[in-house]
Amino acid sequence: MNVKINLLLVAVLVGCALLLVKTQYRARHLFIDLEANQQRARQLDIDWAQLQLDQSTLGKNARIEQIARSDLNMTPLTPARTQYLTKGAQ
Amino acid sequence: MKRAGNGASGARVAASKGVKFSTSPVLAVRLPIWRSRVVLFVLFAAFAALALRALWLQAMSTQFLQQQGKNRYERTIELPATRGKIMDRNGQVLASSIPVKAVWAIPDDVLKSPPEKLAALAKLLDMPELELRKKLDSDRTFVYLKRQVEMDVIEQIRKLDIDGLDTRKEYKRFYPQGEVMTHLVGFTNVEDVGQESMELAQQKTLVGTTGSRRVIKDRLGHIVEDVGLSKEPHDGRDLTLSVDSKLQYIAFSNIKAAVEKFHAKAGAALVLDVHTGEVLALANYPTYNPNDRTVLTGEQLRNRVMTDTFEPGSTLKPFTVALALESGRVTPATLFDTTLSGRFVVGDHTIRDSHAHGVINVSTIIQKSSNIGVSKMALAMPSQEMWEIFTKAGFGQQPKFGFPGAVAGRVRPYKAWRPIEQANMSFGHGISVSLIQLARSYMIFARDGDIIPLSFQKVSELPQGQQVISAKTAREIRAMLESVVSPEGTAAQAQVAGYRVGGKTGTAQKLINGRYSNSRYVGSFVGIAPMSNPRFIIAVMVDDPSSAVHTGGGVAAPTFAALAASALRAANVAPDSSVTDIIIPEHPLEDM
Repeated sequence: MNVKINLLLVAVLVGCALLLVKTQYRARHLFIDLEANQQRARQLDIDWAQLQLDQSTLGKNARIEQIARSDLNMTPLTPARTQYLTKGAQ
Repeated sequence: MKRAGNGASGARVAASKGVKFSTSPVLAVRLPIWRSRVVLFVLFAAFAALALRALWLQAMSTQFLQQQGKNRYERTIELPATRGKIMDRNGQVLASSIPVKAVWAIPDDVLKSPPEKLAALAKLLDMPELELRKKLDSDRTFVYLKRQVEMDVIEQIRKLDIDGLDTRKEYKRFYPQGEVMTHLVGFTNVEDVGQESMELAQQKTLVGTTGSRRVIKDRLGHIVEDVGLSKEPHDGRDLTLSVDSKLQYIAFSNIKAAVEKFHAKAGAALVLDVHTGEVLALANYPTYNPNDRTVLTGEQLRNRVMTDTFEPGSTLKPFTVALALESGRVTPATLFDTTLSGRFVVGDHTIRDSHAHGVINVSTIIQKSSNIGVSKMALAMPSQEMWEIFTKAGFGQQPKFGFPGAVAGRVRPYKAWRPIEQANMSFGHGISVSLIQLARSYMIFARDGDIIPLSFQKVSELPQGQQVISAKTAREIRAMLESVVSPEGTAAQAQVAGYRVGGKTGTAQKLINGRYSNSRYVGSFVGIAPMSNPRFIIAVMVDDPSSAVHTGGGVAAPTFAALAASALRAANVAPDSSVTDIIIPEHPLEDM
């Protein structure tokens, strides 16, 4: 009787030990995934900053004005050429 | 096979004599008993030593050994923190840090690589090969070849596969708005430390704190486990400035145009928000590109709005008049005789007007910018009261807006004023102010008599003002300032089509070697727009114009008009005047 219990316990122990190994292995893999994703998040942050920077560089007022003037042949607005519409007025 | 038969008894027998091996008298050696004891003892001692050693390693020096072990499989990783971004009030990025790499080398190893690789490296690093070799010709084992190299270049360098070459992570700060915004934003050095302007002033909030973590890495370099304590990195806080990129560009392009048109040494412009005290634009010319600072002169670096003081000239007249109105000594209609000769003698000095105006009222004194008129007004008032209004308006006071290099200007203590000095000060001579102080002081006219602190960062709640003059006086002065910007005033060229604006011109002779120069001037204009509901205070200063016109009304007023027209339109301010034809007299009034 005693022997049977011991054998059973040994079997359980070995089972647990193997499970632990397996779990640890899985944990490490998941951790590596987590790391990789965090790294990706950081890279995306950097890309975002870079894109914001590009947006700011390309949207520079000086550049817009230059393009508007030379490429699109636009001229600044003057009040003499502007008609203001007032709400409620005739 | 015979031997095998004989040996059946179990013991080995000498084949010839039949004597057992172990009992053979020949082989019997008589050794003293102590020898075996010694061997036994030595063996025992050896085991005891092993046991002790084991005990020593296991129990006494465990910590040391475990530490040594950890050092071999654990790694500390630096977690870098990014410096905060600087943005304008609409979220447009003005400064941002992007990771780059520094390229460093072990000179001896690198020099062993083939010459064509070195030539390629020099080309990638954008430096002559000779210079590269000079850098490598060093006794040290660590030499920076180039810092802040961008990532795509690093990739190409990696492909060259040169021994002894390595990189280190660092950050480079980019300023997309370049020279337009640089006097406001500033720049950082190669170590990411702020050097100028807001980058310097806000260094503490912008800079992050680096973190670190202990990890276990596997054979492939993956991190498999966090061990021990990790320190989270904290990125620097982003900074939202009060500046509006659009207005800043308008201010910059106008001041640049003015400096070029009037062949001036320098120029500066400032736009303030009347309601919040925010600095919406601050432009200087000459300027520099913060992304490429290889050639940088003090002239370019100088932030004239903050650091240059000048004698404001007539822009100070409204303060004397405001004081006289406030104390009830005069009303806008009070008449003063400014004499037909255009001269007024105080002590042994003579005060002159550019034109003789005769008998005129207080409003006209401002409109025509009569030195004699304000001098007479000033001399009727105690010097202490004048000193007080100057001080309350912020002149001679150390500015408190957290901007590096801001100067206090100079207002001498009133007890030392002589009458001629008091008269001079009433029209802005013998007193020095910076452009930002001058612009801020006009808050008391643009608002209803109170002055508010300025802010370089976006403000969320309206600041509390400090009352200097009454709302009634402020309104009266505003009406006078508007009359200055009319065909009859000194600033006819400051008129803006479609909007009512007001302001005051100022022309000051520069002090050259302690004497007033007759050929070098600072022309300035401080204006309020639009007059029906003041929104902006715009100040313009043109330093040392060498064209035919040099007065504030001639150089600064038209710059103001161009700036205000674009700024009001850009800010979607509805026009408050139907006048679209601007009349500028052929011979406008000049002010001294």
